[in-house]
Amino acid sequence: MRDRMVLPVLTDATGLNHFRTLALYNGAMPAPILTTKLFVPPPRQRIVARPRLIERLDEGFSSGRKLTLVSAPAGFGKSALLSEWNEHIRLTAAQADKNKNRKVKDIPQIVWLALDQADNDLVRFLSYLIAALQRIAPNIGAGALAALQSPQPPPTEALLVALLNEIAAIPHRFVLVLDDYHVIEAKPIDDALAFLLENMPPQMHLVIATREDPDLALARLRARGQLVELRAADLRFTRTEAADFFNRVMGLDLSANDIAALETRTEGWIAGLQLAALAIQGHLAQDAHERRDVAGFIKAFAGSHRFVLDYLVGEVLERRPEEERRFLLQTSVLDRLCGPLCDAVTEQENGRETLETFEHNNLFVVPLDDQRRWYRYHHLFAEVLQARLMEKQPDQVRQLHQRAGAWYERNGLASDAIHHALAATDFERAADLIELQVRPMYYSGMEATWAGWVKQLPDEIVRVRPLLNVYYAMSLLPGDAAESGRRLSQAEYLLNLPAQALEQSQAQVTKASVANQKELQSVPGIIAIARAYCAGILGDESGIAKQARQALDVLPETDHWWRGAAAALLGIAYWNSGDLEAAHQTMTDAVRSLHLGGGLVFSISAKYLLADIRLAQGHLHDAKRICDQALELVAEQDEPAPQGTADLHVVLSEVYLEQNEPDLARQHLETYKELGPYAALVEPRHRWCCAMARLQEASGEPERALELLDEAERQYVGGPVLQIQPIPELRARVWLRQGRLNDALEWARGRTLAVSGEPGYAREFEYLTLVRILIAQSGNEQRKQSLDTAKAFLARLLQAAQDKTLLKSRIEIHILNALANHAQGNLPAAFASLESALTLAEAEGYVRIFTGEGPAMAELLRKLQTRETTQTVHGYIHRLLSAFDPSLSRARSSDSSALIEPLSERELAVLVLLRTELSGPEMARELFVSLNTLRTHIKNIYNKLDVNNRRAAVRRAEELGLL
Amino acid sequence: MSTSLDQDANQPTIYQIRVAGHLNPQWTDRFGGMSITLLAEGDTLLTGPVLDQAALYGLLKQMRNLGLPLLSINRIEQS
Repeated sequence: MRDRMVLPVLTDATGLNHFRTLALYNGAMPAPILTTKLFVPPPRQRIVARPRLIERLDEGFSSGRKLTLVSAPAGFGKSALLSEWNEHIRLTAAQADKNKNRKVKDIPQIVWLALDQADNDLVRFLSYLIAALQRIAPNIGAGALAALQSPQPPPTEALLVALLNEIAAIPHRFVLVLDDYHVIEAKPIDDALAFLLENMPPQMHLVIATREDPDLALARLRARGQLVELRAADLRFTRTEAADFFNRVMGLDLSANDIAALETRTEGWIAGLQLAALAIQGHLAQDAHERRDVAGFIKAFAGSHRFVLDYLVGEVLERRPEEERRFLLQTSVLDRLCGPLCDAVTEQENGRETLETFEHNNLFVVPLDDQRRWYRYHHLFAEVLQARLMEKQPDQVRQLHQRAGAWYERNGLASDAIHHALAATDFERAADLIELQVRPMYYSGMEATWAGWVKQLPDEIVRVRPLLNVYYAMSLLPGDAAESGRRLSQAEYLLNLPAQALEQSQAQVTKASVANQKELQSVPGIIAIARAYCAGILGDESGIAKQARQALDVLPETDHWWRGAAAALLGIAYWNSGDLEAAHQTMTDAVRSLHLGGGLVFSISAKYLLADIRLAQGHLHDAKRICDQALELVAEQDEPAPQGTADLHVVLSEVYLEQNEPDLARQHLETYKELGPYAALVEPRHRWCCAMARLQEASGEPERALELLDEAERQYVGGPVLQIQPIPELRARVWLRQGRLNDALEWARGRTLAVSGEPGYAREFEYLTLVRILIAQSGNEQRKQSLDTAKAFLARLLQAAQDKTLLKSRIEIHILNALANHAQGNLPAAFASLESALTLAEAEGYVRIFTGEGPAMAELLRKLQTRETTQTVHGYIHRLLSAFDPSLSRARSSDSSALIEPLSERELAVLVLLRTELSGPEMARELFVSLNTLRTHIKNIYNKLDVNNRRAAVRRAEELGLL
Repeated sequence: MSTSLDQDANQPTIYQIRVAGHLNPQWTDRFGGMSITLLAEGDTLLTGPVLDQAALYGLLKQMRNLGLPLLSINRIEQS
């Protein structure tokens, strides 16, 4: 398993300043997918054919209903029926295939998911759901799977919508069976399934087998005729089926009266009838010629009041050899059985053979794979066995769990090992194991499951272990900050104990493992990080910075995961305080640490933040460089684009729009959409709308821009990163440029924009918007003095921005100052300000910041042009002026023989090889990249050169002098 | 008499659950130590203290898992 790391990002959907630790994840499942859960149980060799039920299942599917509900108590043959249906479908398909029947398309494929208690974790449930679907559509949900484990999982609904779209693309119909749905108690899973059901494409039919009706608005489905139901009354054996079962299937040759007696006594309960048959077989095996014994058994059973299960399991067990009985009782503590595991638990050596014998004799084992490796007992049978074990050998139970736990541990199945250690009340051992699992579980987003284990430990065990306290504290955030704080103090108290006392209080920990020892060194730093999150929850900005700095001071150099988390937190805190240069430095460190710890998937959202900081500072080239580099790394890997990739395209789009490349800006916004919801972070999702609004306005569509800003407002979820360009301000600026001064004034009326107020970075955008209103108002004779107010304001804002190396702020302030002076008729002052702005802006290729100011700016630039200026600025002014006329700039870009988007270094290397005779795989080998990566490069080259084959690409590249 | 379902925390409520068929005494443990009384007409009464509603539902689920036919549930008022 590769290392994973945690980045403290950014929000949950509930609002401002909610920090969470969220696991970033890079490709591997935290716990392996147990394929046994996806295995369609094979039908027994000899079964009672149930054509009436198979027909209803077929009918439910072919009539296009959405859901088949098989709802009945334990032991009514729900799974067996569905497994028979699967076999029936398989045979029908094979037959149709043989006959070349065209209607073969109407025969569904069945995918199966057997649920268990652990699936109450939504992440796990959806992971398995996707794994099941991948059996018929191998790549389905790959993005969703990655997104589920990502730092900011998209809202479940967005994820399901994407999954449903992928399901809608499956070319044939299929059935998804969810077996044992009654184990699901988690509301989010019911909700997810209800949503899936409501929006399910016609390809898919859902079958739910359960002991209790699920919470899925069944009445509505019933009323709409979208539901088929098979319930206990349908499933129970009829007398005919019972007769078929006893006499043909089990070969018992019972009389009609005997069968009637058994059927009445069990009320057709299939598990009861099967147990009765096994009991009768037992009687016959004892004395094959003594039929009277059988009659006697049936009579006694029929006359008894005892609970059928108790009576019959007793009967069956009594007639098994002592050795086998012991085996059954001892292994009843296991949820799953395989030979070696049974051997470990029973301390015998015949586990595998015994299980095979059980299967052969229909003795209530269910195979879980087709290699005869894993089995389980029929649930009802296991229940009775466990109760008997508890009654007969209560002292042994603990030891059996210990043996099972030790076997799972030896075989690297940690969560089963923990389950059995807890069941054995072997709490010290369990605590050791839980400590060892902390990083894998946290990295993979399964912190809830991990915390669930800790909750099962007695408090006196948890209390003395710093590691358990600190991570448990982390899992309580943001919900229970008070209890979290108590846990952190406890961890700190333990660490501050004199060395000797600590050793005593944690003798277990010190003995436990090297890994835990190493982990302990990080605890002080993690405490500080948790406190930084708490500060974030309380809105205490300086507290965040203080704690994050503390964390960086004390964390070991090698703990890249937490160092990256702390640096990212500190970077955000600097950003919010307006110290963007410090934010830039710190976020660079965060990117490095996160990359060291976990590679691209871990570092990409920090890279996005870094690029966004550079953009906010106004360093366009650097923002672009960061995005390009990150995207190149994404293209070189074979995994789906990690979360945060799409957001880089928004930053690029903003850079390109600023540099007056609207086509490129639009392309990158389109790429964002093409990458889909899994590649995008949740928190900045409104940014796409804001960028598109700017683009639309630049293309002369201000009304469309306003609509997009409304949409941005709807999508806004907040978060710890300051919103530097608030949506209301963006809207007011559009109004101003539209000449809707009154609307803009209405916006300003709601604000307390005191000119005397201290203009902090947090409100800079707001103040600069107000300044624009003041300048716009100056057209009115009575408002001439508003320009003086504006200029006074700008002087103070410039002062603040000088201190903070805010390039973009300074350019904008100079521009507004120039416009204010121009409006006052003070041309020399206007020119001086404008020249300052131009000098700052030229190197970064700014255009929109000038052209966005409209005709007043064009006029001022033209006036400046006629004056003597240095040659460079002169050329820049010329470029700006031509950009005011969109038709001019469009002509320029199409005339140009240069590329709109230059080839990256990697792409140039590929281009050289394209000129050779090498094949794709040979080129890939040459470049040490996968074939997929190579294809991505080639596709990008074709796009950039605007060609569609290899020869044309080489020709065009030669024309451009690239080769 | 209290009509509230939230009983005094120190005073678990006594419930009596009636199921069809005679149960083995081995289930006492499984049903949280409830006492098992076999009735002449062939049913079983499980009687005992239940901590709260969550515990009651947990108990019912245990019974569901055994396929026990449930006949009635009564709360026994304590004087």
